[in-house]
Amino acid sequence: MRRRSVMLRLSTLVMLCALAGAGCRRAPRAADTDPFLDDDILSPHELGGDPGSYRLGSRTEDGIPVTGVQFDNVQFAYDSFQIANSEIPTIDAVGQYLQENPDVRLVLEGHCDERGSREYNMSLGEYRALAVRAHLIGVCKIDGARIQTRSYGEEQPLDPGHNESAWRLNRRVEFALFR
Amino acid sequence: MMTVRYDRFRARRRAAACGLAVLVLGAAVGTAQDVTVTKPGAEKSAIDVSGMTVPASDAGNTFRATLAADLKRSGWFTIAPRGTGPLAVDGVMRPDGDGFLVDCGAVHRGAGRSYFRRQFTGRDARRLAHAVADEIVREVKGVAGIASTRVAMVGAHGTRKDLYLCDIDGANLTRITSQGAVCLSPNWWPDAGALLYTSFHGGFPDVYRIDLRTRRRSKIAGFPGLNAGADVSPDGRSIALALSRDGNPELYVMDVRSRRLTRLTRWTRSSEASPSWSPDGARIVFVSDRTGRPQLYVLDRRGREPERISFGGRECVAPDWGPDGRIVYSRRMGGGRYQLCILEPGSRHTVQLTSGAADYEDPSWAPDGRHIVCVRTVNYRSDLYLLDTMGDAPVRLTTWDGDWYSPAWSPK
Repeated sequence: MRRRSVMLRLSTLVMLCALAGAGCRRAPRAADTDPFLDDDILSPHELGGDPGSYRLGSRTEDGIPVTGVQFDNVQFAYDSFQIANSEIPTIDAVGQYLQENPDVRLVLEGHCDERGSREYNMSLGEYRALAVRAHLIGVCKIDGARIQTRSYGEEQPLDPGHNESAWRLNRRVEFALFR
Repeated sequence: MMTVRYDRFRARRRAAACGLAVLVLGAAVGTAQDVTVTKPGAEKSAIDVSGMTVPASDAGNTFRATLAADLKRSGWFTIAPRGTGPLAVDGVMRPDGDGFLVDCGAVHRGAGRSYFRRQFTGRDARRLAHAVADEIVREVKGVAGIASTRVAMVGAHGTRKDLYLCDIDGANLTRITSQGAVCLSPNWWPDAGALLYTSFHGGFPDVYRIDLRTRRRSKIAGFPGLNAGADVSPDGRSIALALSRDGNPELYVMDVRSRRLTRLTRWTRSSEASPSWSPDGARIVFVSDRTGRPQLYVLDRRGREPERISFGGRECVAPDWGPDGRIVYSRRMGGGRYQLCILEPGSRHTVQLTSGAADYEDPSWAPDGRHIVCVRTVNYRSDLYLLDTMGDAPVRLTTWDGDWYSPAWSPK
């Protein structure tokens, strides 16, 4: 079930080293900082604007899933849709991929851990996906029409456990690529 | 408002702790729970139902047993031994075509007063008993009964999450979706003939309406992004819901006939969820995390700036605006469990209804404004419980396999 493998992390880093200075403007920072310290949270301005500034385009059919490439999930603090600095390289890598593959479309799938109200978690998961979308549009300059969102709330946990490490894994945005 | 710590059951259990009686009482109470009385004045009346003549058959026995159970569950009555009690039900149930006719009434023996006398017809002995019980509650106590009401809910079995219905006494459990798509958050149409709910049937979270008689499903909202949390106004003309089509989750109202949308909130740095209409349809309570934590806000339909109404607690979620104007919601204090609270929006006076070592979430008011159905979760297992805000012991509604949550009590 666990998608975050060392290999993937390495591949993301390698990719980002190769991209340094090109593509998305923000240079990757060291990934070993605690992603969820408050002072490490980026403001909406740094992230490319409020999600509310980017209206969703009309829904498109999912199409054929893109295989052969996989990206880390973006992770979040409890009850938060703020994107931590440590998660930026992951999003930038996706932005770079979308720039190089203009026929690829993306569905951002927002998820929450099992705690809290199911209905509120539907909105929170959606906001998480929209926050990632805002960065892809505002910073990585991807056309918003290529990016849809889908909130699963707390309905599809990656790890069915009932503990901190499961919850941490389940608070995420996944990248589903189609062409 | 006066609040009384409701500890009669605990006291009784303590008193009986060394006797055999504790076993019997323990079984009757079901589970040890703490529920605070938030509405004083629940004087019970003893009612004698032995004057009801029924056929010597299964249907007759079912009618008699169901009527007595319904009257007890209403919270307003105790069943008096034959020939005693200030109140009495008399009448007859007899075969009528392929069903039954019940001709009955309720009287106050001391005052010699008749509350009503009426005929009921139907095929189903349980439903007939429910109708008679609701008539007794209405005529004797002057309040809405709950015997004929139902609960819509989500039942989860592994990754399957379907909509179900059952009667308020747990009978007639029925699954009403079978698409294999995750279903969420059912809410009743005001005439109790249809449900609104969110489903991933089409791949994205969309809002559907399902007619409970024809089982026909129609899509209400399938805009880009999120479509969730739909609640119908009491007049059935408008649907409040959360949509993210304009870039982030905001509240909207959809006109049922024209499908025209009106945006209610413009808080682009927060997500909004869980709208619930006031009984007069003029206001909506909802959840927003604009302060960084989910709290309750109220807006009126004129579009004035929403007003925050919940303050204590790290999270205040899942509000349901009740028929008598009180809002029930689920609150979590820092590090604690989710407990139900009842808030009077005018004074903002808040009473915590539940306490103890379980999580209580997702409350929904009964049409009597007295009972609440909610999720009670212990060790990550969820069941629905009926709570009484006037002091009766909680009753477990879902006694079946699986997890049960998102209950919605039917409006009638």
